[in-house]
Amino acid sequence: MTSTSQPIAHWDPMEQFAADPRSVRDPHPELARRRREQPVAPRAAWGAAGEVQGYELYRFEDCAAVLRDNETFSSESIRAGMSAVMGPYPLVGMDEPEHRRLRSLVAQAFRHKTLAHFEDDLVVPVVDEMVDEFADRGNAELVRELTYRYPVQVIAVILGLPRDDYEQFHHWASAIISVAARPMEAIRSSSELKQYLVGVLDDRRSHPRDDLVSDLVAADLDGERLGDEEIFSFLRLLLPAGAETTYRATGNLLFGLLNDPVQLDAVRTDRSLLTQAVEEAIRWEPPLLITSRVAVHDAEIAGTEIPAGAQVIPNIGSANRDETRWDHAEEFDLQREAKPVISFGVGPHMCLGMHLARMEMRAAVNRLVDRCPNLRLDPAADDAHIHGETFRSPTQLPVLFDVAA
Amino acid sequence: MVLRIEIDATRCMGSGNCSFWAPGTFDLDDDGLAFVKDLAGDPEDKIILSGQGCPTQAIAIWRDDERIV
Repeated sequence: MTSTSQPIAHWDPMEQFAADPRSVRDPHPELARRRREQPVAPRAAWGAAGEVQGYELYRFEDCAAVLRDNETFSSESIRAGMSAVMGPYPLVGMDEPEHRRLRSLVAQAFRHKTLAHFEDDLVVPVVDEMVDEFADRGNAELVRELTYRYPVQVIAVILGLPRDDYEQFHHWASAIISVAARPMEAIRSSSELKQYLVGVLDDRRSHPRDDLVSDLVAADLDGERLGDEEIFSFLRLLLPAGAETTYRATGNLLFGLLNDPVQLDAVRTDRSLLTQAVEEAIRWEPPLLITSRVAVHDAEIAGTEIPAGAQVIPNIGSANRDETRWDHAEEFDLQREAKPVISFGVGPHMCLGMHLARMEMRAAVNRLVDRCPNLRLDPAADDAHIHGETFRSPTQLPVLFDVAA
Repeated sequence: MVLRIEIDATRCMGSGNCSFWAPGTFDLDDDGLAFVKDLAGDPEDKIILSGQGCPTQAIAIWRDDERIV
């Protein structure tokens, strides 16, 4: 291992909240106002070449239409912003036909195993091991002790990394995820992680195993194979795409449940409700609120002219609370009528890992409720709240529970 | 009344969104593309949700002669 290894505790996931003094605690009242008064709002945006004209979208139908229309609205600008950390082939920042080829190949590796196998053999043991560390204490701070940590470890397990490397992997992952707060550390960590992955890939090429890296090496569509750089980009993309979003979304689900003991009790009694609780949590508070596209030619959205080259920014967090689609949209209500949300996006770039993410969220809450009887928010919690404007998740989740005698 | 469902394989991206909303009706084949395994495998509202939620609008649904998705 490299000598840069530092204990995971060195990385405080919460430093991002302190990093930006203008950070918005709750954007939803303003988003509701814009849905009513200015659903397509001009704003400054930053592209590869500096400041460009941008338009932020707030209504569900407008956001979904842009995300579906990948011929008019390109994802390439995301690639420019990500390549320093993700390498040259980040799937989220590619257009057709390149995107479809790469996505089909990695999708083949992703569905090679069934999710049920992932849940029982990979995810539940990771969650259980983390719960073991606080189960006899009767209290925990679930962001630091569980939600922030388990999705990264799930990725390490899915990749088939040796156990001794988990801590170093966590360190790189935390640095890459904290790219906005500490860009230079993220770029350095990404480069170190890539060097590490070169060794892992070499090993799996000569000694294939039952893991995702081996499946990526073996992926084959009519003779089309993944190049090494494509694999390295994909594996690094898993960290922001698969770990950060899942940790935040799990936190938001727990926050919704812990703040409404009636709904938490309902889930405790009937675990089948967890499926709809997950859908409701990602509607109510998606982990990532905005994404972006660039208009490749002049277009029109809800009566507003969008010139070629302008950036278009669908606000998913706003779209998911569109009053014309959902009643009492501002409330977390797991009993509401099911309707597709766009928290995982929609269109050709819809999240490749959405089924894995849903399962991870379900499994984490399931095991917590199983193992922590009478789980409840600590009444002494000091202003625990969901925070952020681009990414959102709880600042802390201090809980109490009964300890079996 | 059983619905009629068509999947456009050239549009399908194999997201698995349809089999999430209506697992009794849709599944993914060995190439990762969606197919209908049972036209009445789920309540009608779930089947319609699957069509509406398809990320690439690859699913078309008819009731009698009327296209509803």
